[in-house]
Amino acid sequence: MTAADMLYLAPLLCLVAGGLAIMLVDAFAPKGPNAQRAELATLTTVVLVAAAGLSVALWMKGSTRGPEWITSYLATDRVALFFDVVICGGTAFAVLLAGGYLREHEMERGEFYPLVLFSAFGAIVLARSTDMLTVFIGLETMSLGVYSLVAFRRTSPRSAEGALKYFLLGSFAAAILLFGAALLYGATGHTDLAGIGAAVKSGHADTRLTVIGLLLLLVGLAFKVSAVPFHQWTPDAYEGAITPVTAFMSVAVKTAAFAVLLRVLVVAFSDPLTASVSTGWPAVFAALAALTMVVGNLAAAVQTSVKRMLAYSSIAHAGYILVAFVALPSQGESAVTAVLFYLAAYTVSNALAFGSLILIGSRGREAVSYDDLAGIGRRNPLVALPFILGMLSLMGFPPTAGFFAKYYVFSVAVQAGGGMVWLAVLGVLSSVIGAYYYLRVVVFMFMKEPKEGQTIAVPMKSGYVVIALILSAYFVLRMGLAPGAYLEWALEAAKRLV
Amino acid sequence: MLSLYLPILVILLAAAGLATIIFTLGVVLGPKNPTAEKALPYESGSPSTGARNVRLSIKFYLTAILFVIFDIEAVFLYPWAALFRRLGWMGLVEMTLFLTVLVITLVYAWKKGALEWEK
Amino acid sequence: MELGLGHFIGLASLLFGIGAVGFLVRRNLLIQLMSIELMLNAVNLTLIAINRWMPGNHAGQVFAFFNIAIAAAGAAVGLAIVISVFRLKKSVQSDSVDLLKH
Repeated sequence: MTAADMLYLAPLLCLVAGGLAIMLVDAFAPKGPNAQRAELATLTTVVLVAAAGLSVALWMKGSTRGPEWITSYLATDRVALFFDVVICGGTAFAVLLAGGYLREHEMERGEFYPLVLFSAFGAIVLARSTDMLTVFIGLETMSLGVYSLVAFRRTSPRSAEGALKYFLLGSFAAAILLFGAALLYGATGHTDLAGIGAAVKSGHADTRLTVIGLLLLLVGLAFKVSAVPFHQWTPDAYEGAITPVTAFMSVAVKTAAFAVLLRVLVVAFSDPLTASVSTGWPAVFAALAALTMVVGNLAAAVQTSVKRMLAYSSIAHAGYILVAFVALPSQGESAVTAVLFYLAAYTVSNALAFGSLILIGSRGREAVSYDDLAGIGRRNPLVALPFILGMLSLMGFPPTAGFFAKYYVFSVAVQAGGGMVWLAVLGVLSSVIGAYYYLRVVVFMFMKEPKEGQTIAVPMKSGYVVIALILSAYFVLRMGLAPGAYLEWALEAAKRLV
Repeated sequence: MLSLYLPILVILLAAAGLATIIFTLGVVLGPKNPTAEKALPYESGSPSTGARNVRLSIKFYLTAILFVIFDIEAVFLYPWAALFRRLGWMGLVEMTLFLTVLVITLVYAWKKGALEWEK
Repeated sequence: MELGLGHFIGLASLLFGIGAVGFLVRRNLLIQLMSIELMLNAVNLTLIAINRWMPGNHAGQVFAFFNIAIAAAGAAVGLAIVISVFRLKKSVQSDSVDLLKH
C-alpha cells in the first residue's frame, strides 16, 4: 500500500473529507433564527464537482487499473469512473436545488449537506463495489443517509411516514440481500464477485444454493431499483420527502442501485447456466421489466399529484432500463452502453423535471398537484419552459436526451432478437401511456386556469435553482442533439466491463 | 459437504409455515371474552399502579442512540489491538483516521447540543 | 451427534425466517425493528459458521464485524425515525401510518 495507490480513491476521499469539513463548518457556525446556511450549498457543490473532476482526471490519465488491495473491494475501471461522474453530477443538481428550496421554505438546517455527501459517497462505493462486503457497506451508507433525508421535514407527518416506510422496507430488503450474499459465500467460498463468478463457472459451486442466493440477492436489489412488485415504498417515500431529496433519490440512488446490479450480473453471473435466457436471471428480468413498465406507467397516469406521478414515472423508467438488462447475455457491450447512457440521460432529465417543480412553488405554497400548475405557463412562460423540456425528455421525444436513451435500450432488445422483441414493443406501447401523463403537465400549465378560491402559484426566485435548471437543460439538449460523444464514453467504459 | 446446506430452503419454509400456523392458531382458537379484570396488565399478581405507559424524557432516546453508535464502533478496535504489532505503522495510521472521523462526529454532536442534559 | 455446518446454517435459516415472518406479521414498529435485527444476526451466524468450515480466509468473520457496526447505525437511524413518527402520531403501530395512499 503506497500513497500513490490512494490516487485511485481520490474521488471517494474527496467526498468524505468534504462531508466532514462541512459538518464542522455547520457545527461551529453561529446559531440563531437568522443564521444562513445557503453558503453550505455552494461548498457542497464545490466538493461534488471536485470529486467528479478527480474521476474525470483519472479517466483522462488512463489510470484505471488500480492495485489489487483496492480492486478486490472497489473497482477502479472506467465504468466506475463513469458512474462517479453521473452520481456526483446528479447529487450536485440536488444540492443546488436544495440551496434554493431550503431557504425559500425556511428549512435551512446544516445537516442536510453532510447527509447528502455521505449518501453520495455510499452510492459511489455501491456502484464501484466488487465484493459483497462493499456492496452492503455502500448500500447501507447510502440508504441510511437517504432515510434521514426523507425525514428531513420534522414537523410533517407525511415526511415521517415516507421515511418510516422507506426505512422498514429498505432494511428488510437489505437483510434479504445480505442473506443471499451469505448463501453465495457458502456455495462458493468467496465473497468477491470475481471469485463467486469463477466458482459458479467452474461448476464447483453448489447449484441449488447458488440459485437461492442469487434469487435473494436479486430481490434485495429489485427493492432498491424499485422494480414492480417490489416498488411499494417508492411513491410514498418520494412524495413524503422534500422535493430536492426526491430528486436526489431518483437520480443518484437509482443510478447506484442499477450500477451494482450491472456489476454483480456481469462479473459474477455471466456463466451459461445462471445467465441462460430461458431459465436464468434474464427470464426473471424480462418478467420484472414488463411488469415494471406496465404498472409504473398505468399508475402514473391516474395520479393527481405531480410529485407522485414523477415517482411512478421513475418506476416506469426503471422498467425501461431493465429491458437492457435482459439483453445483457447476448448483447454484452452494447447492452451495458445502453444502460450507462440511459442512467446519464435520466439523471439530467429528472433533475430538470424536479427543478422545474421546485421553481414553481414559493413559500407556503409548494407546487405538488396538477392543479397547482394551472395557468402558470400563460402567466409565466419562462418558468414553464424548463418543465416542458423535462417532460419531453422523460417522455422520450426527440431531440432530447430521453429520446436516444430509450432508442438505445429498445434497439438493444430488438438486436437481441428472439423472445425479446416483444419487450421492446411493450416498452414503446407503455411509453405512449407516458406521453399522456407527461403532456398533461403541459396542458395544465397552458390550458387550465386556477379554480375559484385556489391559491395561485407564484414562482420562487433563487440563483441556485436557476443554475441547476440551466445546466440540466443544457445537458438534456446536448445529449439529445449530439449524443455521439456521450455514447462513445459509455461504450469506452462498457468495453472494459464485459 | 455442501449438500448439508440443502435443508435451508426446507427450514426457511418450515419457519415461515410454523410461525404463520402459530399466529393463526392463536387468533382462531384463542377464546376471546375480555373482562375489565382480564384486560389489566399482569404485574406478578399484585394490583397494577401508576400510569399505563410511563413517559420517559426524549433525552434518554437521544443518549441511547448516541451510545449505540459510539459503543459499537469499538468492535473495530479489538481486532486492531490484538494485531497491533503485526499491523505496524500502517495499522496505526488507519486506526487514527478511523478515530479522527469518530472524534469529528463527537465534536459535531457536542456542538449541536446533543450531549446537554438541561436545555 | 456431532454438530456440523448444516446445523448452524439450519439454525440461522430458522432465525432468519422467524425474523422475516415477524416483520411481516407484527404491527408494532419496535418489534418490526427487532425482527430486522434478528434477520441480520441470522446472517452473521451464517457467515461465521461458513467461515469456520471454510477457513480459506477470514472473509466471513470480517463481514460479520461490518454487519454488526452497520446494523447499529441502522438501528440508530430507525429509532430516530420511529421517535419522530411517535411525536407526530402518538403511536408506534405501523397501521397508524396511513397518510400516503394512491
